[in-house]
Amino acid sequence: MRLGTVIGRVVLSKKDPAFKGARFLIVHPLSREQFRDAPAVPLAKGDSLVVYDDLGATPGHTIGFVQGGEATAPFLNPTPVDAYNVAIIDSVTYAPPK
Amino acid sequence: MVNARVDGVVVSTVCHPSMRGCRMIICQPLDENGADDGAPILALDPLAAGQHQRVILSTDGSTTRERVGDPHSPLRNIIIGIVDELD
Repeated sequence: MRLGTVIGRVVLSKKDPAFKGARFLIVHPLSREQFRDAPAVPLAKGDSLVVYDDLGATPGHTIGFVQGGEATAPFLNPTPVDAYNVAIIDSVTYAPPK
Repeated sequence: MVNARVDGVVVSTVCHPSMRGCRMIICQPLDENGADDGAPILALDPLAAGQHQRVILSTDGSTTRERVGDPHSPLRNIIIGIVDELD
């Protein structure tokens, strides 16, 4: 699982039938520097991805998301999902040794 | 399995049901010399590891699904040991 900041939403009208009622977020994964002050440190360009969401995260939220095979685990039927929002993060305590 | 150091903790109230009541920590993967190796990752912590403690984490989703008792859990990383000594 990785941390990311929600920077937008995606709306689809034509989509795979498995995605009926689905919400999608545009998420920017956090780098090491951004962990401490998420999301106060400005985000770098590029590197964002689309994440399936059923928790109701909105732009500005920090979320924990999984990528790969585990992203499809919550679904009962085969669903073409590659990134899944697992948790909306309330607080991050990050203090690496100096 | 990955050798890592505990660098922090995250708190979440709105999360997947399989995560409820579980501690989630920020782990920094380490290389063979103990230097940081890549970006930090989040892992489930059933063993209650302390800050800056060395841990071994499993990156196998099926192990984690078995541990949380939910075959539909999307979690992958889980702490499976706290390191006492490294040679």
